[in-house]
Amino acid sequence: MKTKKLLVVLTALMLVLAACSSDDGSDTTEGGTDATEAPSGGGDGGSLLAEVMDRGELKCGTRDALTGFAVLTADGDHVGFDSDFCRAIAAALLGDAEAVDHVDLETSDRFTALQSGQIDVLVRNTTWTASRDGSEGATFLATTFYDGQGMMVSADSGFAGIEDMDGVIVCVAKGTTTEGNAAATADRLGLEWEVRPFDDNDLIQEAFGAGQCDGWSADFGALVGIRGDQPDGPESVLLLPEVFSKEPLGPAVLDGNDELAQAVNWVVFATIQAEEWGITTANVDDFLDSEDSNIRKFLGATFTDGDGNETTLDAGLGLPADFAYQVIKQVGNYGEIFDRHLTPLGLERGVNALWFDGGLLYAPPYR
Amino acid sequence: MTAPPTTKAPVPEARTPFYRNVKVLAWAFQVTVFFVVLAFLLWLWSNYLTNTANSGIPTNFDFLSNPASFAIPGAEFDSNESVRNAYVIGLMNTIRISIVGIILATILGTLIGIGRLSKNWIVRKLSTVYVEAIRNTPLLVIMTFTFLGVVLQVMPTIEEAWNLGFIIVSNRGIGVPWYSEVSGAALFAVVALAFVGWWAVAKWRHGVSERTGELARVGLYGGLTFLLIWIVGWWLIGPTFTLPMIDGRQLEGGIRIDPSYFSVLIALVIYTASQIAEIVRGSIQAVPVGQGEAASALALSGFQRMSLIVLPQAMRIAIPPLGNQYLNLIKNSSLGAAFAYFELTNVTQITVGNGSPAVPAFFLALVFYVALSFITSAFVNLANRRFKLVER
Repeated sequence: MKTKKLLVVLTALMLVLAACSSDDGSDTTEGGTDATEAPSGGGDGGSLLAEVMDRGELKCGTRDALTGFAVLTADGDHVGFDSDFCRAIAAALLGDAEAVDHVDLETSDRFTALQSGQIDVLVRNTTWTASRDGSEGATFLATTFYDGQGMMVSADSGFAGIEDMDGVIVCVAKGTTTEGNAAATADRLGLEWEVRPFDDNDLIQEAFGAGQCDGWSADFGALVGIRGDQPDGPESVLLLPEVFSKEPLGPAVLDGNDELAQAVNWVVFATIQAEEWGITTANVDDFLDSEDSNIRKFLGATFTDGDGNETTLDAGLGLPADFAYQVIKQVGNYGEIFDRHLTPLGLERGVNALWFDGGLLYAPPYR
Repeated sequence: MTAPPTTKAPVPEARTPFYRNVKVLAWAFQVTVFFVVLAFLLWLWSNYLTNTANSGIPTNFDFLSNPASFAIPGAEFDSNESVRNAYVIGLMNTIRISIVGIILATILGTLIGIGRLSKNWIVRKLSTVYVEAIRNTPLLVIMTFTFLGVVLQVMPTIEEAWNLGFIIVSNRGIGVPWYSEVSGAALFAVVALAFVGWWAVAKWRHGVSERTGELARVGLYGGLTFLLIWIVGWWLIGPTFTLPMIDGRQLEGGIRIDPSYFSVLIALVIYTASQIAEIVRGSIQAVPVGQGEAASALALSGFQRMSLIVLPQAMRIAIPPLGNQYLNLIKNSSLGAAFAYFELTNVTQITVGNGSPAVPAFFLALVFYVALSFITSAFVNLANRRFKLVER
């Protein structure tokens, strides 16, 4: 009867409405910044860089307890090699090295934090691998620390090298390249390792200290810091000499944010380039009127161009012209950052020296 | 005696307009809610697709065929096996700890629940302290304590392991004797056969008791039959039992109980038992007092009163809340991920950390947990239907 007819009409109206909303929903391929209120991952190149600059604060993914790289001190400051690079990026983009929100992340959710836009850049001693570039959707930038995987054992364990470790338990951090490398190394050398993964270095420390783990495998740089923190002192542990993988550590941003990626790249290169020229926090002001116009261009000082005009170099990166000056002035060059945090742990420059000193650090020219 | 008045005049149909017609409004409301929810879900889905497309993250399940690049100790799983197999192992480990946990927690919980009603003062007080202390502690704290405290600190290192002859206890595993060179299924089948034998003998003895009035003595006859079948069966199969030994830094021989499995299991059992104890106590107290009094009047001992009269009726009441606790235990097993136990959540976290896309990976884990919960609650509902009071 009439009730039924009305019901039919109502259902038809609803179907039409649903069809309309489905159209909006299936509009997935366009840039779609209106249809999606996603926090970031804007998709069209510059929007994240512009967004960070508008926001006035950089959200940097880091960690809270890795000696030398990032430690949350009692005053609430993050101190370390990676923390200083967060500050360097903020100094370049925003002019203020302290305009950083250091977001502490666990190993297992550092990439989801990047993917979801919770952080703008991940500077958390993360290894650059192909699958992270690909299926994790991360874009890795210039390597700040060339590391390798090492193994730490108890000093009285009697192990002199990796080959001695057969039928042992090795503890690693969960969801890291360390885990995969440990398993692969054991297979390669024909050793029997039981690899136990933990989320937290504190748990690994407990297990290692209690004797449940024969070996603690992590990046060599991290192990040097951990050795210094051992409750029985650094002499109670031994870092085995073998380094059994390549671990290039560097910052990462989410795919699709090309301008932010380039900006972060050039911040890292700026610290390396500054060390190549010997520019430090103390003497950067003196270099502002250097005879070398390349240095003046680099620091964003004025130089005389071909037509005789006084101008500054804008490389079109979306960064302020004096970004390198701000980085050096507020944070320091690569060598200063390294000496501040990693040299006290006993880490040598090794492969992390400048290219003309036999290392791997090489900055493309800024021009 | 007068007939009610009738009329042949047509009665006009009362027609309420559609905006006041209750039936129409009810339908309209349901249809609207349905489409609002649908639109919301579609919006979330399109959001997800847009964002992952922008950053190149795959949204399909192809990652399941990738090599896992991590090894799972205790299983025949090296780093070249597929992620799919890792998920299967994770699921098996979750099922394993859930089944063992459920059985142990029920036994312990029932005993403590009965203990809370004991006439013995010390038993009553100890049970109360146990329940109140454990029930109010978060499970993660209990698990941290069993792992860091019990396993890591109390248990000795492998060099100083406690060797109790046939059991070796250390903080990297507990070695127990185990069979080898025979099929576990055959041994298990013999034990099952022994139970069947017990049941058959019980029926026979009950029949004898009915007819002749002599004592059934089911325990005696049934127990003897059980032991006979078990011993003879296993002697015929001839399994070799290997004792655990320490070989360098490893436990050789027998089987090794993984320390993470041990600590997670103990924590789950302790916690869930405290919940089950309260449920059992409540259901015992829900059995009418007259039942217990009648049992005493029939000169049944305290143990007989509890086991023959009160407890069976109490367990019937307890089945739905017990089922709830079993589901909780299954889901709580996911906390084992923090303590290096390779159950489903741990495997998912590791594969996501190694490059698998997060949303499909966790969605798969979610589907497995939901499936486990459905199966468990199906069994519980079956038991409930079978045992519940049939009311008119």
